[in-house]
Amino acid sequence: MSYLFSHWRLIGVLTLQHLGLVFAALAIALALALPLGIFAARVPRVSAPLLGLLGALYAMPSLALLAVLVRYFGLGAAPVVAVLAIYAQFILVRNIAAALRAVPRAQLDAARGIGMSSRQQFWRVELPLASPVLIGGLRLATVALIAIATLGGYVGAGGLGNEIFFGLQRRYLEQTLAGSIPAALLAIAADTAFRALERVATRRTAG
Amino acid sequence: MDGVSFEIPAGSFTVLLGPSGCGKSTLMRTVNRLVTPRSGTVTVGGRDVASIEPTALRRATGYVIQAVGLFAHMSVAQNIAVVPELLHWDRERIARRTDELLELVELDPQRYRSRFPRELSGGEQQRVGVARAIAAEPQVLLMDEPFGAVDAIARRSLQDELLRIVRTLQTTVLFVTHDVEEALRLADRIAVMRDGKLLQYAAPDEMLRAPANTYIAQLFAVKADLRRYDSLRNALSVER
Amino acid sequence: MNLTRARAIALAGSALALPHCGRSNAIRIGSKNFSENITVAEIYAAVMEREGFKVERHMNLGSTQIAMAAIRRGDIQIYPEYTGTALIDVLHLEPLRNANAVYDTVKREFQKRFGLSLLNPSPGSDSQGLAVTRAVAQKFNVRTLSQCAAAAPRLRLAAVPEFVARADALPGLQRFYGGFKFKSVRTFDIGLQYEALAHGDADVATAFTTDARIAADDLYVLRDDRSFWPAYNIAPVIRLDLLKIHRLDIPGTLNRVTEGLTDIALRRLNVEVDINKRDPADVASEFVY
Repeated sequence: MSYLFSHWRLIGVLTLQHLGLVFAALAIALALALPLGIFAARVPRVSAPLLGLLGALYAMPSLALLAVLVRYFGLGAAPVVAVLAIYAQFILVRNIAAALRAVPRAQLDAARGIGMSSRQQFWRVELPLASPVLIGGLRLATVALIAIATLGGYVGAGGLGNEIFFGLQRRYLEQTLAGSIPAALLAIAADTAFRALERVATRRTAG
Repeated sequence: MDGVSFEIPAGSFTVLLGPSGCGKSTLMRTVNRLVTPRSGTVTVGGRDVASIEPTALRRATGYVIQAVGLFAHMSVAQNIAVVPELLHWDRERIARRTDELLELVELDPQRYRSRFPRELSGGEQQRVGVARAIAAEPQVLLMDEPFGAVDAIARRSLQDELLRIVRTLQTTVLFVTHDVEEALRLADRIAVMRDGKLLQYAAPDEMLRAPANTYIAQLFAVKADLRRYDSLRNALSVER
Repeated sequence: MNLTRARAIALAGSALALPHCGRSNAIRIGSKNFSENITVAEIYAAVMEREGFKVERHMNLGSTQIAMAAIRRGDIQIYPEYTGTALIDVLHLEPLRNANAVYDTVKREFQKRFGLSLLNPSPGSDSQGLAVTRAVAQKFNVRTLSQCAAAAPRLRLAAVPEFVARADALPGLQRFYGGFKFKSVRTFDIGLQYEALAHGDADVATAFTTDARIAADDLYVLRDDRSFWPAYNIAPVIRLDLLKIHRLDIPGTLNRVTEGLTDIALRRLNVEVDINKRDPADVASEFVY
C-alpha cells in the first residue's frame, strides 16, 4: 500500500478525471440514446436491427476504435468520451426501449384520453412510469463506463487506467491496485446510488 | 362499423350495450377522437368533432376506462388535478375543486388527498377515476366499462353514486357496457349494438316492451322482472 | 515525489483542455504505454527541459496506431518508435533482415507518406531473442542461434504462447536456421518464462533483448548470427515543423542522447522501472544528468 500513500495526490486527480470522463460520456450518451430508445420502443420493426447495429459497435475492439477517433478528435478526453458514449448506446437504448414498452397501457390510454398532447403524455406520464427500468439501465451503463473509462490512459485523457495498465505492464501489483481499487469503489458507489434511486422510483410508480 | 347513426339528447344517460368486440368502445372513442372514423361525422353540441383540436376536445370531454388508468406516480389530488392543470387553472381553484370532487365521490379529502393509487381499493380507485374525469366540468362524459373490474357490491354503490352525480351536474353520459343489468339500472336510453351495427336505440322501457328483434328480446327477457323491481328501488333512492 | 506531482498536474491539464485550444509553445512529447518506451520518451523530455524548453507530456498512449494518429495531427511532436514496428505495423512492409535497410526504408517512407522525420536509431535493439543462463551457455556451449539450433534436442524451451505459432518465431527459426527441434516446449504467460528459467524448469527462454529480467537474472542473449529477427532500434519520430521552428538543434541533442541507448543501457533503465518500480521520469532524469 506504500505506493498508494506516496501517490495519493496523483490517484486523487486520476479518480476525478475518471469521473469526469464517465459523466461527460453519460450526458452525451443519454442525449443520443433517449431519442433512439423512444424510436425503438415506438417502431418495433427497427428495434432489432438498431440494437444489432449498436451491439456490433459495442463489440468493436476499443483500441482500434480509439485509434480511429484520435484521428478526428486528437488526444485527450474527447476520443475517450466518444468511445464511452458509443459503447453506452447499446445498454441505454435497449433499456430505454424496454422501459417504455413496460409502461402500463391503461395509464397511457388515460393520458391520451384525458387530453394530454403527445409531448405531455411522454414527459408527465410515460417517462416517470418508465423511470425505474430506465434508472436500472443508467446504472448498468454507468458501471460499465467506469470500467471502460480506464481506456482514458491510452490517449492521454488520464483516469485510473493509467495506473492499472502501467502497473500490469511492469507487474507492479501495488500500482495496479492503486488504480483498480478506486475504480472498483467508484463502480460500487455508483451501483449503490443508482439502486437507491431505482428503489425510490419503483416505490413511486408501483401500480 | 357501418350505418350507425343516432342522436343523444343533452343531459341524458345513454348506454351502449353489446357483446365484446361489437364496436361499442370504438364508437364511443370516436367522440373524443381517440378513433377517427373512416367516413361519417360525429357532432357534439352541433359541432363536428373533426373540426376541434383533439387535445382541446378531450380536455372538454370526461373519459373513464375500466382499467381506471390512474397515474401511479401521482397522488389522488394530483390525478384529479391533471385536466385543470392542463387548462391552466390557478392553484387555489384546483385545490378547492379537488376537495369538492373528493367529497362528491364520497372520499374524505383529508384522508385521501395525498394517498397514492396503489393504496386504494379497486372501488376507491374508480371513484378517483370518475372525479378526475369530471374535474373540469365536461359537458360530455365517456365511460368505457368503468365498473367492470370492481366487485358486485362496490359496483352497485358506484352506479348509484354515478347517477346522483351526473344528475346533479346535468352531464351528458355515454356509457359502454356488456352488462344488461347495468344498462337497465343506469340508462335513459340504450343503444344495442352487434357486429358493428346499431340494432335498436330506445328508452329501456320501450326496449323491454317492443324489442326490435328476437336477439334484443332474448337479451332482455330474463331481466324484465329485475327491471321492475329495480326501477322502483331506483326511483325511491333518487327521491330520497 | 515532486516529479510525480508535476506529472499528475500535467495529466489533469491535458484531460480538461481540448487538444487545440490554448496550446502552449511547449514541446509535446508522447510515448506508448510500456516501460521502455515511456522511459525513453522521458529521456527525450529531460534533455529538452535541460535545454530550457517547456515540455508537455502525453505518455501511455495505448498503441502504435494511437501514437501515429496523434503525431500526424500534431497532438504530439516527438515519440520514440521501433524501426521494426514502424516498418511492419505502420508501413505494412515486408520484414527486412538488415538493420540499416530497415532504418533507411522507414526514414524515407515516413518522410514521404506522413511528412515525419526519423532521427538517428539507438545502437540497442528491442527485438525478439532467446536467452539462457550463463551456466547453460557454458555447459552446452551455446552463444549463437546457430549453435542453439544444433543443440536444441538437448534443451528445454520456455516460451510465451505466441512464440510457438507465429511465423516470425519458432516455425520461422526452424525454417531459417534449420534444427531448433527442442527436447520440450512449454508455454508461459509473458514474464513467467523467466521464472521457469530461474527455477531450472527450462534451459532456454524466449525474450525481448532489452528485457529487465536479462540484466536482473544475469542471462545471456544468444546472438542472432544470421540476422533472422528484424531490428527494433529506437528512433525519435519527429514532426518536421518542430525541426523548422525551434532555434535549438533538436536533432543533434536527441541524437547525442540516443547514442547512449545500448542494449545494456536499455536493460538497466528497464530494471529501474520494472523491477525497482521507480518512476520513469526519475529514472530518465538520472540517465540524462
